[in-house]
Amino acid sequence: MATMQENRTLIIIFYICIGIFALICLAPFVLALSGSLSTESKLAAEGYSFLPRGFSLDTYAFMFNSKADQIFQAYLTSVVVTVLGTACAVLVTTAYAYVISAKGFRYRNFFAFLAYFTMLFSGGTLPWYILSTKYYHLDDTLAGLFVPYLLNVFLMYLQANYFKSIPHEIVESAQIDGAGHIRIFFRIMLPLGQVGLVTISLFYALQFWNDFYLSLMLISDQNLYTIQYMMYFMMSNIQYLASGNSTQIGGAVIAPPLETAKMAMTCLTVLPIAILYPFLQRYFVRGIIVGSVKG
Amino acid sequence: MSDEALQASRPAGRKSRLQALRNDSPLLLLALPGVIVLILFAYLPMSGLILVFKNYNYNGGIFGSPWAGFENFNFFFSSMDSAIRATRNTVMLNVLYMLTGTFFSVSIAIILNELRSKSFIKITQSVMFFPYFISWIVIGAILFSLLDYDKGLINRLFSTFGMAPVDWYSDPWMFVVILVAANIWKSAGYGAIIYYAVLQGIDTSYYEAARIDGASRIQLITRITLPLLIPSIILLTLLSIGGMLKGDLSMIMGVTFLNPLLLPTTDIIDVYVYRTAIRSGEFGFASAITLYQSVFGFILVLVANKLAGWYDKESKLF
Repeated sequence: MATMQENRTLIIIFYICIGIFALICLAPFVLALSGSLSTESKLAAEGYSFLPRGFSLDTYAFMFNSKADQIFQAYLTSVVVTVLGTACAVLVTTAYAYVISAKGFRYRNFFAFLAYFTMLFSGGTLPWYILSTKYYHLDDTLAGLFVPYLLNVFLMYLQANYFKSIPHEIVESAQIDGAGHIRIFFRIMLPLGQVGLVTISLFYALQFWNDFYLSLMLISDQNLYTIQYMMYFMMSNIQYLASGNSTQIGGAVIAPPLETAKMAMTCLTVLPIAILYPFLQRYFVRGIIVGSVKG
Repeated sequence: MSDEALQASRPAGRKSRLQALRNDSPLLLLALPGVIVLILFAYLPMSGLILVFKNYNYNGGIFGSPWAGFENFNFFFSSMDSAIRATRNTVMLNVLYMLTGTFFSVSIAIILNELRSKSFIKITQSVMFFPYFISWIVIGAILFSLLDYDKGLINRLFSTFGMAPVDWYSDPWMFVVILVAANIWKSAGYGAIIYYAVLQGIDTSYYEAARIDGASRIQLITRITLPLLIPSIILLTLLSIGGMLKGDLSMIMGVTFLNPLLLPTTDIIDVYVYRTAIRSGEFGFASAITLYQSVFGFILVLVANKLAGWYDKESKLF
């Protein structure tokens, strides 16, 4: 009886622990949302909280009036980079994965090693930067925002695992019917490797949407700011403004809603992911599970 | 298989070699885009490591700049302090991320495994996974709303309890704790999914047998669940050793905005290279540190692989 009682308390503690951690994972987003819906003056006086300080949509109105063009441009760049980058990356990656999973291909080990070695050893940031800017001229180009990421070796191996799980007999019968590798790849492997395809597409899309590194390294043209980079720019600039001359202004000038604007920007950046998340989440989980069990 | 062996053993005539090339050419074509990307962004940068022995100037580029011999290394050793600091920070942060991340991921997975309410598991798992989808820039913005000196939620809470506010953005050692916490917050839910998947594959008869023997729930966890997870924990830990000298520039930039007050603990190797080379143009010195990072990282990968093979032949990476 004693252990029954003990077990029950333990289970309750477990539920509470998980519940609390889940709340902690969610709470910061509520904080950001409430910040964006607060009024600037109240927020400045009373600080951030989980409930909006003096509910208003003024910040969003301000953002859409004065910054609409920039935000729209950054959003557009991010969407284009994500869509174009994902499409190209998935094509490059799956093609390569097919090659190293092709049975009987003499050089498959060579190509597998060619990709694998880059996971072990890299030239580092600096030569990469110099080559990309001075020799490939990727600075301040749209291509610079996705071309360097077209082949993620880890995802390539994941996809090769999916391809290997497709029964070889299907490929053989297609070969007997006279299909070449290109036809087999597009007509058989891609449709049959769909679970993998969806998984790596999602990983790539997430990577491109969230990427900040390529913008930081290669972009100085305002027209090519992605939403993440614009966000970074806003954050570091506002911090600079706030730390610089707050005493000299002395509150006489009517300031734009800087604090709430940051939170509004945060919400706008997270919005597409938050909307798509319920649909994407189960694919991710399935992909991770299949991928991790495999290798 | 025997067919292949036969083909390989036969001395290849000109005709059969041509034939083979024709058969393989579609595959070579399919591999081509990937090969180009690998060469451009992985292999050519490796050759860029010769920069270490060069006196880089913009006009000459990597290959046309004059040779400098070991000058950059002298510079490297004379500024040893900053190199050591960057290395220490990188390794320290990665070890802390690894230890705490593994602890939380495994704990969450084990607890989830004990719970029976399917809908509760599903909902909390989704919620805990969500931060993984968020970029460090956004997390940095959100952290600011928590940690800001006079408007941040945490200092507000402190003041309601009569405690003095803390200037989080000026305490480098406190910030280590913050970075570690942020890392747990972002990735523990993701890590838990992997361990939870392993646990789902465990044969339930282990538990039934133990329960008949009168094992308590705690005993089931410590005697069955945890030991069964240990191979996965070890493997994932070994895999991460190879990346010990790689830092996450986006994380540090997004969360600290390169705040100089925090650099004593947040100046990781990648940040250091970014600051000295890409922002200030001191290429020679930064390339010495890049070479050191590449070579030392490579050695770490070999060590990790050796350890993995020593622990279990199947876990070996290559």
